[in-house]
Amino acid sequence: MESPIIFLRPFNLSEAEDVLKWAGDDDVTRYLRWDSVKTLEEAKQHILNKAIPHPWRRSISLLKHGRSLGYVSVKPDSGDGRCRADLAYAVAKEFWGRGIATAAVNMAVEQAFEDFPELVRLQAVVEVENKASQRVLEKAGFRKEGLLEKYGFSKGVIKDMFLYSFVKDDCFV
Amino acid sequence: MEIDSSSMIKLETLSTVSSSPTEKIHLRPMTLSDVDDFMVWATDSNVTRFCTWEPYTSREAAIAYLNDVVLPHPWLRAICLDNDRPIGSISVTPVDKIRGEIGYVLGSKYWGKGIATEAVRLVAAEIFKENPEMERLEALVDVDNVGSQKVLEKVGFVREGVMRKFMYLKGNVRDMVMFSFLPSDSLQY
Repeated sequence: MESPIIFLRPFNLSEAEDVLKWAGDDDVTRYLRWDSVKTLEEAKQHILNKAIPHPWRRSISLLKHGRSLGYVSVKPDSGDGRCRADLAYAVAKEFWGRGIATAAVNMAVEQAFEDFPELVRLQAVVEVENKASQRVLEKAGFRKEGLLEKYGFSKGVIKDMFLYSFVKDDCFV
Repeated sequence: MEIDSSSMIKLETLSTVSSSPTEKIHLRPMTLSDVDDFMVWATDSNVTRFCTWEPYTSREAAIAYLNDVVLPHPWLRAICLDNDRPIGSISVTPVDKIRGEIGYVLGSKYWGKGIATEAVRLVAAEIFKENPEMERLEALVDVDNVGSQKVLEKVGFVREGVMRKFMYLKGNVRDMVMFSFLPSDSLQY
């Protein structure tokens, strides 16, 4: 499958309606740490309070000024952890299965190493049952480092998670 | 090939650690009056090699550390021999509601006797009863710190994987091994 051309851009309050379409979908937010937004107002709050102040969060679109169909974010740690950052992403359900998340992750990895000069390691934790997301990371060249048992909460339930990483010298697949 | 003294200490640790230490140890909270015993291990660069901090050089700095970090810590204990004087310390620091990270440090004179292993075992045996919400005890160990990896393996911690280029240690980015021990895991003796 050819990888789709995608664009990443900062979030804007004006795209709340488009964001509501995917951020309001329980299937999309199922493995994320936050709950679906229920209303346009909540989508606006999400953009204002979470997306815009975030150190590096991007809206994914298929056209340069096209509508938002998901997000990818990179959150660097600080102090002794400043060499690493956490990766997260989600795509609207109607666009699943087209390689969009993989393309967004590839682009985010490349840009994150440029934007954060101290960054050496990108990491992501994925629930054991979230096979689709594991495939995204593997296609983007991430390496599975291990299974971390009872590692974190997901929607109030303690879960085992796989830990993946991409280190600066790794090659893009 | 030259063998320096730190390699000798490591070899000793690998070959002579027994499952029960040659001397009995107990754990107790630390107090300000432990400062001079604290200085014995805290000034030793062999001990601090894999610690994020540099050896202490003044008693004032040690007292400040005891006041600012040790005394308010949610769970930190002195490792003591029969005379009740500390020869090291062990702590469990909450990462979040369900995860705690174990860390320990021991005077180099006492390496190779199974003391750290016994201290970790004592903690792993008790910590979940004291903290019923804790679901996971974890430890992050530098890939080169083989002695400490052996301690955790002897107690029954599970080696989950190597986290590449995970954190800075004294100006260098290091690979760290992740270990865990769950309430459902079995302690090894």
